[in-house]
Amino acid sequence: MLWLYSTSAVSRRISVSWLMATNSKIKPQRLPPSVKRANTMSTHSSIKDAFSIYTDYLNALNEKRERVVKASRDVTMNSKKVIFQVHRISKNNKEEVLEKAEKDLAAVTDQHMSRLVKELQGTDFWKLRRAYSPGVQEYVEAATFFKFCQTGTLLKLDEINASLLPLSDPSLEPLQINLLDYLLGTHAHECMIEVLFTRLLQLADLTGELMRLAIGRISDGEVEFAERICRFVRDIYRELTLVVPLMDDSLDMKLKMDTMLQSVVKIENACFSVRVRGSEYTPLLGSSDPSSFLLGVSDVEL
Amino acid sequence: MKSAFRNAYYLTLSRFSLNPNASILHLVPAVSTFSSPPSSVFKNLSFRSPLTATLSSASMVGGDSDAPQSSPSLEKQFEKFRVELEDSGILRERIRAVVLEIESATRLMQASLLLVHQSKPIPEVLEKAKARINVLKDLYNKLAEVVRECPGQYYRYHGDWRSETQMIVSLLAFMHWLETGTLLMHTEAEEKLGLNNSDFGLDVEDYLIGICFMSNEMPRYVVNQVTAGDYDCPRKVLTFLTDLNAAFRMLNLRNDFLRKKFDSMKYDLRRVEEVYYDVKIRGLATSGDSVGDQGTQGQS
Repeated sequence: MLWLYSTSAVSRRISVSWLMATNSKIKPQRLPPSVKRANTMSTHSSIKDAFSIYTDYLNALNEKRERVVKASRDVTMNSKKVIFQVHRISKNNKEEVLEKAEKDLAAVTDQHMSRLVKELQGTDFWKLRRAYSPGVQEYVEAATFFKFCQTGTLLKLDEINASLLPLSDPSLEPLQINLLDYLLGTHAHECMIEVLFTRLLQLADLTGELMRLAIGRISDGEVEFAERICRFVRDIYRELTLVVPLMDDSLDMKLKMDTMLQSVVKIENACFSVRVRGSEYTPLLGSSDPSSFLLGVSDVEL
Repeated sequence: MKSAFRNAYYLTLSRFSLNPNASILHLVPAVSTFSSPPSSVFKNLSFRSPLTATLSSASMVGGDSDAPQSSPSLEKQFEKFRVELEDSGILRERIRAVVLEIESATRLMQASLLLVHQSKPIPEVLEKAKARINVLKDLYNKLAEVVRECPGQYYRYHGDWRSETQMIVSLLAFMHWLETGTLLMHTEAEEKLGLNNSDFGLDVEDYLIGICFMSNEMPRYVVNQVTAGDYDCPRKVLTFLTDLNAAFRMLNLRNDFLRKKFDSMKYDLRRVEEVYYDVKIRGLATSGDSVGDQGTQGQS
C-alpha cells in the first residue's frame, strides 16, 4: 500500500498516484528493494516522511468520503421528491404524475447516482458503504415505489442495476446496488405502499366512518385492486422473512420487519373493510359526489 | 366490528413478538389453525371470510387464480438473495473462527510482553513474544485465504478483525521500539504479519490506531523502568514520543475514533514529561545533555 522513499518530495508526488492505483485494479509498479531499505536513516526524518504519506492517504480518503456523502445526500433529497410526487397519484392524474415521476427519477439517476460511480471503484465500494448506503436505500425505495404504481410489480435488483449500467464508462466498474441496500430500500417501499393505499381508500371514502353514499356492491374492480395490493405486500413480506435474518448486521432490519408487518396488517384490514362495508348498504343510487370514484355510475334500482 | 378487528390486529402483533420466526401466515386475523404449508393457506382463507372469496374468483394479473403464490420472478429473486446471503453468512462464520484464534494468540503475546514492566531482561521477553509472531503470520494467512474467496470484499468483513489487528500492531510496534528505539512503519508491520497490499493488506487507519495504543503503554513502562533504576529510559521515551506526537499532528484527522486515540496520546506524552522532569531535577538522569552529574549512576 505505501512505499517509503528517501525524499519526501518524491514520496508526495508518487504517493498520490499510488493512492489512485490502490483504488483501482491497476497493479502498482514495484520499487527496487534498495530504495525501500535506504530509509533507515535518522528516526526523526523517516517518521516524518512516513507520516507525510499517511497524511496524503488520509486526506484523499476523507475527501473522497465527503464527496460520496454529498452525492448520497443529494440522491436522498431528490429521491424523496420522487416519492412525494408519486404519492400525489389519483385516478385522475395517474398519467401525468407518473410521467413527471419518471423524469424526476431519471434525473436522480443521471445527475446524482452517476457521481457515485467514480468514487466507489474497487474496495471503496465496501469501505465507504456507510457513507452512501442511506442514499442508495432511498433511491431504491423511490424506484420500486414508482414501478409499483406504474405496473403493480416489484422492481427487481437486476432491473435497477441494469438501469445503472449506462452511467459508467467501460473502463470503470459499473455501480451496482448491493442486495443489502436493495432489501433495506424495499422494506421502506412496503411502508410507502401502505401509506399510498390508505390515502387512496380514504379518498374514496371507503374506510372512513362517514359513508356519504349508499353504495351497492362495490365494483369488482375496486375489490380486485385492493386484493392485488394486499397480495403484493404479503408476498414481499413473506419473502423478506426468509432473507432478513441472513443479512449482515441484521438487527436493524429485523426491527424494521415489525413495522412492515404492521403495514401489511393495515392493508389487510383495509381490504377487509372494503369487502365488508361494501355489502352493508342496499343498492340505491350511483353517486354524483364529485370526489367519488363512482362518479358517473348509473343509478341502480332496488 | 372494528373493535374485534383491533383485537385481532393486536393479537397478531403479540403473537409475532412471541415467536418471531413463525411465518406471517400463521397470524392472519380471523383464521385459526395453520399446520399446512404456505401455499395452501390462501385456500383455507376462502372458507373463512367473504373477503377471500374474491381471491379465488378475481383474475390475478399474471398469476394463477387457484393457488396465489408470489410471482415466479419474485420468488426466484429472493431465492437467489437467500443463497447469496447464506454463503456470505458461512464465510463470515469462517472468518470469525480464524479471528478467535488470532485473538487468543494475541493475548498470549500480550501476556509475555507484559513481563517487560517487571523489568525482566528485554531480550528474553522479546524472544517469547516473537515466537507468537509466526503463529499470527500463519493465522493471517489463513484469514487472507478465506477472504480471497470473495475478491474486493475485504472491507465488508473488515470489522470482524479490525480491533484484533489494531492490538497486534500496537504489540509489534512496542516490541520493535524495545529492540531498536524506532517506530515500526506501516510497511514493516505488514511484512511482519505476512500481509501484502494487493491481496490482504494492513489498513492504514488500523495501523495508526495500533500506534496510538502503543503510546498508551509508554507511561507505564517508563514509570516501572525508573522504579527499577533505569534513569535513562525517560529521556529516550520522551524524544520518541515527542517525535511521534509531532508526526501525528501532521495528519488532518476528522472527529472519529483515530482522533480520540490521538488525543489520548497527548496525556501519555504529558505523563512521560512529568516522569522525565522528576528524574532530571533530582539529578538522577545521566544523559549527555544534562549538566553535571552529581555522582549519580544510572543502572539498567
